[in-house]
Amino acid sequence: MRSLRILAAALVSSALAWSQPPLTAEQKRLNKESFEFIWSTIRDQYWDPTFGGADWTAVHDEFRPRIERANTMAEARTVMSQMLARLGKSHFGIIPADVYGDLDSREEGGTASAGFDVRVIENRALVTSVEEDSPAARQGVHAGWEIIRIDGADLAPRLEKVADLYRSSTMRELYLMRSVLGKLSGEEGSLVQIQFRDGTGSRIDKEIQRIRPQGSLAKFGYLPPSYVWIKSRKIAQDIGYIAFNLFLDPARLMPEFGDAVHYFADCPGIIIDLRGNPGGLGIMAMGMAGWFIDKPDQRLGTMYTRQAPVKFAVNPRPPVYHGALAILVDGCSASTSEVFAGGMKDLGRARIFGTRTAGAALPSAIDRLPNGDALQHALADYISEGGRTLEGVGVIPDVEVKLTREALLAGHDPVLDAAIEWIKARK
Amino acid sequence: MHLRYRLMPAVFIAGLFCYAGPARAEDALPKAEEILDKFVEATGGKAAYEKIHNEKATGTFEFVGKGVKGAMTNYRAEPNKMYMRIDLENIGAIEDGTDGETAWTLSVVQGPHIKQGEERAVSLREATLRAPLEWRKLYKNAETAAVEDVNGQACYKLVLTPNEGKPETQYYDKKSNLLVKMSVTVVSQMGEIPTETTVSDYKEQDGLLSPRKSHHTVLGQEFEITINQIEYNTEMPKDRFDLPAEIKALATK
Repeated sequence: MRSLRILAAALVSSALAWSQPPLTAEQKRLNKESFEFIWSTIRDQYWDPTFGGADWTAVHDEFRPRIERANTMAEARTVMSQMLARLGKSHFGIIPADVYGDLDSREEGGTASAGFDVRVIENRALVTSVEEDSPAARQGVHAGWEIIRIDGADLAPRLEKVADLYRSSTMRELYLMRSVLGKLSGEEGSLVQIQFRDGTGSRIDKEIQRIRPQGSLAKFGYLPPSYVWIKSRKIAQDIGYIAFNLFLDPARLMPEFGDAVHYFADCPGIIIDLRGNPGGLGIMAMGMAGWFIDKPDQRLGTMYTRQAPVKFAVNPRPPVYHGALAILVDGCSASTSEVFAGGMKDLGRARIFGTRTAGAALPSAIDRLPNGDALQHALADYISEGGRTLEGVGVIPDVEVKLTREALLAGHDPVLDAAIEWIKARK
Repeated sequence: MHLRYRLMPAVFIAGLFCYAGPARAEDALPKAEEILDKFVEATGGKAAYEKIHNEKATGTFEFVGKGVKGAMTNYRAEPNKMYMRIDLENIGAIEDGTDGETAWTLSVVQGPHIKQGEERAVSLREATLRAPLEWRKLYKNAETAAVEDVNGQACYKLVLTPNEGKPETQYYDKKSNLLVKMSVTVVSQMGEIPTETTVSDYKEQDGLLSPRKSHHTVLGQEFEITINQIEYNTEMPKDRFDLPAEIKALATK
C-alpha cells in the first residue's frame, strides 16, 4: 500500500514541480548524498540479498544521473522514491522534512500528557478515554468530545497534512493519533489550551494541566525511557480483561500479565486489549502466547532477516488458560501487537475484534538523510503463521467493530461490548 | 615441537615451487588433531584439566552499543552439567542448563523450554567440563581446512563435525595455539541461527588458561561476555544442577 502512496506522492510532487524554487548547488549536493545513503542502506541492510530480483547496482546506475539532474526537492524526492519502489515492497518511503517533525512527538519537548487518549475517527480527533482523577477529568472532559484547536492552532490543517501523506497507508490512523498526541504533550505541570466540541455541538475552551503519563518509567537500553502500564480486572461479572500500553519492561510486565491470566483461570473468557498499543519487544509476544497455548512447537510467525529466518516460537507455560480469548485491536495497534494478534488468530487461539491494525509489523528504522528528509525502511520481513505478511496489510479482525463519536458520548465501547457478547454466547 | 618439524619439509617444498606461485595451503597444514592437542598443551595441559571437577565463572553480559547489560554466572561440573544465569537489567533473568540428561532454558520473557534433538545435543556438548580433552568423543571428524587471517593473526581454520549437529568452524592462532574465533550455526527453537564468536584476553587460573572476553555476533546484533572471576573445584550446592520447578512441570506434562 505504501508503494502506492510513494508513487502518488511522486506524481503530485511532479505536478507541483513547476512552482518550486530551483535548488542551490549545496542542496543538490545534499540530495546526491541522500541518494547514495539510501542506496547503500538498502544494499547493506535489505533482508533479501537478491533484492527481489532487482539488480541493485544497475538500479543505482539508472537513477544516479536523474538525481544529478533534479532541479527541485520534489524532483529529487521522486527519483529517490522511484528507486525504492524498484524493491516492490510497501514499507519503504521518503518522509519530507516538514512532515517528519509532525510525526515525531518527541520534537514537541516533553512526555507529559493531557490526561486523555485520542483517536482520529472520520477526520475528527476524538477523546476516547479520560484518566480518572486527572485535571482533564476534573474539568469535565468526556469521551467523544472532538478536539478543534490546541494552543490556539486549528488541528484540521495538521490532520489534513498527515492524512494526505498517509492516505493510502494502513498506518494512517497511527500517524494521525501521534500527530495529535504530539501536540498535546509537553512538560509535566505545563498548561495546554484546548478547544473542544462537546456532545451538544458547542465549542468549549479548557486550560488543562499536563500530567505525568500513567504507569512506571521503564528503560530499555538507549531507547528513550517510556511509561509502561498494565491493568487487569474482571468485567461483565466474570470475564478477565487485560490491557497494557507497550510491550516493554518485561521484568515487571510479564509476571503481572502471567499473574492476571492465572487469576482469571476460572473465567469463561479473557479479553486482551491492544488498542493503541504500538508494540515493543517482539519476544514478549511469544512469551505471552505461552500462557494460552499448550501445544509444543507452535509459533506466531517467522521473521526473515538477511542472516537467517527467525521463528517466533511459543513455549507453553503451564498451567495454560484454555478458555475463550478475545483480542481487541485498532489502527493504532502496531508491531508486536500485530505479531501477537496475527499469530494468535492464525493459530486459531483467539478471535480478533476491532479495526484493521497499522500494518507496521516489521522492525524498521527511520534515518535522517543529509538533505533533512528521512528514509523509512524495514530491516526484515515478517510472515505470520498463516502465511500472510502483516506489513502494509495489518491484522484483519474476525469481527470488525468501529468506535463512533455517538457511542463514545453515550459511554459505550462497542468493540469491548462485541467481545463480551461473543464470550457470553460461548458459555 | 613435532608440529614445527612437520612444517619444515612443507616450507622447503613450497620454496621449490615459489616461482610458480604460492603452494596450495593444504600442503602445509597440520592435522586438526595436532592443533587441538596443542590447544590443550597451550592452555595448561592434560594433567591440569584432569584436576578440574567443577567450575564457577562470574562476569558481565552486554549488548554492544545498545545499553543493555547484566550480570552472568555460569556453573559447570563433570561430566556435562551446567547452569547459567544472566540477569539483564530491565529485562529479567535468563537461565539455561542441563543436569547431563535434560537440557533446558527458562526466562521471565519466554518461559520454560526443554530442548530436544540437535538443540539438546549442542547444549550437552557445550556443558562438557573438559571438552578440550574430550573432543574425540564429542566430534566424529575434525579437519584443518586452511590458514586464514583473524584480526591480523594467522590462524588454522578447523572444521569439526559433531556426533550430532552442524559442523563448527574454529580458528587457532598459529603462534600461540590458542582458540581465537568460532563460527557456529546454533540450532534452537527459533531456527538455525549463524553465530560468530571471537575470544581473547586469556588468563591463567589454577594452571589453566581461559579466555576472559568473548565477542558474539548473532543476527547482526553484537554482545560481549567478560569473565571477571573463575573458581575451580569450588563448593556447590547439591541441587545446583537440578531442574527448576517450571521445567519439571513441563517435563511431567
